[in-house]
Amino acid sequence: MLAYAAGDLLAFEMLYRRHRGLLYRFLLRSLRHRADADELFQETWSRLIAARERYRPDAKFTTWLLQIAHNLVIDRFRRQRPQASAEETETVLRNLDAPESEQPERALSEFEQRRRLQLALEELPEEQRVAFLLRIEGGLGLEEIGEITGAGRETVKSRLRYALARIRTRFET
Amino acid sequence: MNLPRDRERDLERLLDDDGGELGALYRRLPRAEPPRRLDRSVLGEAARAVQGRTPRRHHWVVGLGSAAGIVLAAGIAWNVGQNALLQPKGAYHTAPTVVPVEPITESSLRKRDHDNTSQSAAAAPAPASVPVSPAKPAVAHKTAPKPAAPPPPAAVAPEPPPAPAMVPAPLATPFPTEAENRAESAAPAQTGGALIPSDKAIESKQSSASDALDQAMTSHARSSAPPAPSGSVELRRDMQLSPDNWLAHIEQLLHQGRRQQATESLRLFRRAHPDLPVSSELRALEN
Repeated sequence: MLAYAAGDLLAFEMLYRRHRGLLYRFLLRSLRHRADADELFQETWSRLIAARERYRPDAKFTTWLLQIAHNLVIDRFRRQRPQASAEETETVLRNLDAPESEQPERALSEFEQRRRLQLALEELPEEQRVAFLLRIEGGLGLEEIGEITGAGRETVKSRLRYALARIRTRFET
Repeated sequence: MNLPRDRERDLERLLDDDGGELGALYRRLPRAEPPRRLDRSVLGEAARAVQGRTPRRHHWVVGLGSAAGIVLAAGIAWNVGQNALLQPKGAYHTAPTVVPVEPITESSLRKRDHDNTSQSAAAAPAPASVPVSPAKPAVAHKTAPKPAAPPPPAAVAPEPPPAPAMVPAPLATPFPTEAENRAESAAPAQTGGALIPSDKAIESKQSSASDALDQAMTSHARSSAPPAPSGSVELRRDMQLSPDNWLAHIEQLLHQGRRQQATESLRLFRRAHPDLPVSSELRALEN
């Protein structure tokens, strides 16, 4: 990024090819609409290009890129619909805490597993989904996710726990 | 697929490098990629952003290059100027007395003669010490009324060594001083002693004989074919002889078959010495 900030276009192309898929999938699975993902994908890179001279190497490029994308996603969420309520979350967790004997054990095909995971991601509350995607797609740690989302480490851990519980529920129904 | 029910263990597996079982399942999901039009749009915007910056850098480089060029040119000019100043300086050291333009005064000429003498003795390069002056031929002509008298060899300075030649070599001959010119006029035998007869009578008649020669040459040119240049030289040489020797020389010319030359010389002799008698043989030549 420093090379591109100095005018090296080839350096930008290398960065773009390395991160384009990651960013696009993060946006697509966060927003769940391809048109929104396309729009924010382009907007994310535009903001990065405009801010290229403010980039500091103490921040990982992936973190910086996902930070910009996350801010755009949150802005979009705020304009679209409200967050999932706390009551909804508690209901999910109560179901997850049911005894193991009461949970149906099923062996699902791989295709069915992928389909259910996709559905589970789409149904996750936005904060949980973003935290899960930043971890599973971006490969970021708790601190990095907290830095991007502006949440504390324990909050990030909590969001990830709730996300995992919802996903498991999807697999057990 | 059986997901573990322990939420803490689920989280630990998720935070593993591979993301655990859920991470493996996620990686098997269709890997969506951005459409090509987005790639073109983003890369184009990045290129435009860089190109927008390039002209500023280009101007900066051009400005710096121009400044460097000016400094380089100034440096070269200064260096050339220094070399030009240093080189003539060395030449002046070898011939410090070169003063191209100098009024010719008696004192300066004496000084120059002295310098030439000392330089000849020391075998130093003399040519550069003598200034170029067109006055020399005029002075020589004025101080040498006798046209047949060449300059004395002893007065010629040694041949200048070939070299730097800022001043042409022929000027190595020192100028005669005004005093020398006056002395030469008063005693011409001293400068042209080898060729000028010492006979005062003959010497006094030379001017009139020279006039007679001119008249004879003119009349001869009018009456006949122009004489050869060698004939006039011989006639002038005959005038330097004593009367007896001149007559003997005329007879010798006649005996050699050079009748025309003998006639011319006799005619000149008659004008120079109208009172002296000639032999019958020569009188017949006059007819």
